[in-house]
Amino acid sequence: MDTFILAVRTLSRLCGVTAAAMMGASVLVVTHMVVVRYFLNESTVWQTDFVTYVLVAATFIGCPYVLMQRGHVNVDLVPLVLPHRARLGLAFLAAAVGLLFCGVLAWKGLDLTLEAYREGWQSASVWKVDMWLPYAALPLGLGLTCLQYLADVLALATGRDLPFNMRPDER
Amino acid sequence: MDPLLIGALIGLTTVFILSLGVPVAFGLGLVAIGYLVWFDGWFSLSVIAETFYAGIGHFSMVSIPMFILMGAAVASSPAGKDLYEALDRWLYRVPGGLIISNLGACGIFAALSGSSPATCAAIGKMGIPEMRKRGYPASLATGSIAAGGTLGILIPPSITMIVYGIATETSIGRLFFAGLVPGAMLVALFMAWSLFDAWRKGYKLTGQSNTGFTLWQRVQILPKVLPFLAIIVGVLYVLYGGIATPSETAGVGALLCIILVVLIYRMWSAGRLWTVLSDATRESVMILMIIAASELFSYTLSSLFVTQSIAQSIAEMEVNRWVLMGMINLFLLVTGFFLPPVAVILMTAPILLPIVMDAGFDPYWFAVVLTINMEIGLITPPVGLNLYVINGITPDVRLPTILWGALPYVGCMVLGIIILCVFPGLATWLPDLLMGPGG
Amino acid sequence: ADASARTLKASHQWPSGKGDLRDEMVQIIAREVAAADVGIDVRVYPGAQLFKPREQWNAIVKGVLDITAFPLDYASGQHPQFSATLMPGLVKNHDHAMRLNDSPFMDDIKAIINEAGVVVLADTWLAGGFAGKTDCIVAPEDVAGQTMRAAGPAFEEMLVGAGASIASMPSSEIYTALQTGVLDGANTSSGSFLSYRLYEQVSCLTPPGDYALWFMYEPILMSQRTWDSLTEDQQAAFMAAGEKAEAYAHEAAKAVDGKMVAAFEDAGVEIATMDEAQFRAWLAIADTTAYAGFADTVDGGRALLDKALAVD
Ligand code: NA
Ligand code: NA
Repeated sequence: MDTFILAVRTLSRLCGVTAAAMMGASVLVVTHMVVVRYFLNESTVWQTDFVTYVLVAATFIGCPYVLMQRGHVNVDLVPLVLPHRARLGLAFLAAAVGLLFCGVLAWKGLDLTLEAYREGWQSASVWKVDMWLPYAALPLGLGLTCLQYLADVLALATGRDLPFNMRPDER
Repeated sequence: MDPLLIGALIGLTTVFILSLGVPVAFGLGLVAIGYLVWFDGWFSLSVIAETFYAGIGHFSMVSIPMFILMGAAVASSPAGKDLYEALDRWLYRVPGGLIISNLGACGIFAALSGSSPATCAAIGKMGIPEMRKRGYPASLATGSIAAGGTLGILIPPSITMIVYGIATETSIGRLFFAGLVPGAMLVALFMAWSLFDAWRKGYKLTGQSNTGFTLWQRVQILPKVLPFLAIIVGVLYVLYGGIATPSETAGVGALLCIILVVLIYRMWSAGRLWTVLSDATRESVMILMIIAASELFSYTLSSLFVTQSIAQSIAEMEVNRWVLMGMINLFLLVTGFFLPPVAVILMTAPILLPIVMDAGFDPYWFAVVLTINMEIGLITPPVGLNLYVINGITPDVRLPTILWGALPYVGCMVLGIIILCVFPGLATWLPDLLMGPGG
Repeated sequence: ADASARTLKASHQWPSGKGDLRDEMVQIIAREVAAADVGIDVRVYPGAQLFKPREQWNAIVKGVLDITAFPLDYASGQHPQFSATLMPGLVKNHDHAMRLNDSPFMDDIKAIINEAGVVVLADTWLAGGFAGKTDCIVAPEDVAGQTMRAAGPAFEEMLVGAGASIASMPSSEIYTALQTGVLDGANTSSGSFLSYRLYEQVSCLTPPGDYALWFMYEPILMSQRTWDSLTEDQQAAFMAAGEKAEAYAHEAAKAVDGKMVAAFEDAGVEIATMDEAQFRAWLAIADTTAYAGFADTVDGGRALLDKALAVD
């Protein structure tokens, strides 16, 4: 079981690195676009599309990493005032809601990606990106988020983690 | 079922689901999907992936991660620390001096960015740790910047003003000018409150020494502020010098910051660069996921005709013009609790503006009042983007603390709306002066 | 509308009640179908309240959206042939557009629309022009060295061919980009020139006249899925309403250009006109850029272009 949790966390960390690299690349591309247009007076054709798609992809692919880091904000007012056992129950319920949402989006996102692939959709711009590529980030990122949720639930159920990022003394 | 009833149901469900402690993005998204399936059938699920994707899949969204990155770069370097050290030395006599300077910084940043979460993220990343280090209570440090960040959509350029201009066919240039004076007024109101609050509570908030600083100590620190000033001037130049659009400016600004940090502070190590990038990634993923989910949420509310029906029933009431304005403000306030600014404007402005104009109100003045209402919505739960941005920056501060800290500033904004009702000229004077009277 | 009526959703991206032609077309259909009393209530979602402009296509294909006023080129990512409906110089003026509607060219385009699961309720072509921040844009040499924002990839290719540099940005940023000087000029529809109030930021406008380069096909569409679920009475009511909307649009489309010119003149903007020689010069560039690209990359692209160019 530790192996599973560890493997998922490694995968999520890998997602984080990928997303961060995409952010870094976007900064360079935006600046490249401004320089090429302003100083060299050349056209900027692909940069706008590229940055838009890459940043959206970074968002979805970074999603499991952020979940692992507990970076998705939540309103923890109620969990905070509850006794430990109820808090644990709430944590499972919250995970179920999150898992359901990410699952539905991953499934519908996969439908969208496959449809874009089958039908050969491209972006309606000069650059003509094959749309299944940027769309694929949605099922991939949210699918891995589901996996990270499963690992979290497992860690919670076996007492490896405490609910809502609590410290042991808040128990 | 009556759209008003559906609206109430959705509101209650949202509050309930989010209070379970579900991540805001996922909770909001599931509520949206649930109601969509309930009222429009399973079939309606076939477009949710695209709607979710389209919520963040456009170039104007780029400014959010880029400005977050800019803040992260500065915050990780001594540039931020030096700036606050300098402010501390100069403002140590003023109670709450650092809050005041942070609010000023929010005002300046609002002039660079068209988005409130972006403004909030950039200043918060630098300002909050510095304020807390100097003994400011967490609620004050976080609340003031959550509120100051909302100015991003009032002080031009502004994404929401552009959306309003198109939805209502009003002049975008005039709208930008209309927001300038009220924006400055809100900055002043925020500062006044912070001064009063710090003085009232007798915080010993400034400087670490009781003796204060000599003039020499104060002058000595000034050169260290230059890199930070260079960034601000550089970014302002990129935007207003015709080099880049507002969205692009954010990207150039981020690179400028990173280069500055690497060159001047010699922070060239993969580890530190990773810290900057991963911090920025965490915050931008969190905030963009919430924005994508609120796109689904707005889609559900729009599809079920909830927001439009309420706006319509207000439009059909025959009441005194100030009662009408009061009701509209109340309505906007409540919609602002649940929906992000752009969604509110798209769904309500075209319905409300004609009746507002019939009642003799100026459309540009109304845009400002509407925008301030939207600013309030950004720091009120359950959908308060700025609250979540701040919470992402300071994970050790609980959301209710931030909320309580921001609440007095909601009061300032309500006061701002009242002042605007008494002196509408605050919004209409500048555009009239610069672009001639009328619209 | 009576309470038992079935509600259909109609969506578009333009402001409502401000006299926008496409909004008016959808409203005419809604009114006419209500008046026909066939148990249908059309609810209009203007101003992109429901779907983002480009997302309307897949929504209508799937039948989640019933009716839309849709610039067909937006779906050229799904069906590259649709680019031909926003191709420089293919339509010269409003009367030419009318003749094009009943040509083999449009038969081919409509066959693709139908095959995708979408029914055309009404045809419209809308015109557009050029505006320059400091100079007039009439001939290709006017854009050399200038930074432009164009509406549609085919126009981008043509402008690049004429020596312009292209800045792609969302239409909501055109105003600020002209204001700060990021852009020297823009090419878009008459309606957008008006609703974005670009006359506040430009010094010269080239409106569509006898020779216009920019025309876009923006039909009113209904989902096939919705269509099939209607009774014959209801279908007939929609077809009749569509004809009314189309007749209105034909007159109104010219009026939009006039309204735009009036607004720009009022704002003190210079009005320039394009003559036949200048139009031909643009076409020559389009032929080696936009047309050539379309013919190379799109199945049956050359044949489609030839069919369109054959319409006199
Ligand atoms: Na701003
Ligand atoms: Na809110």
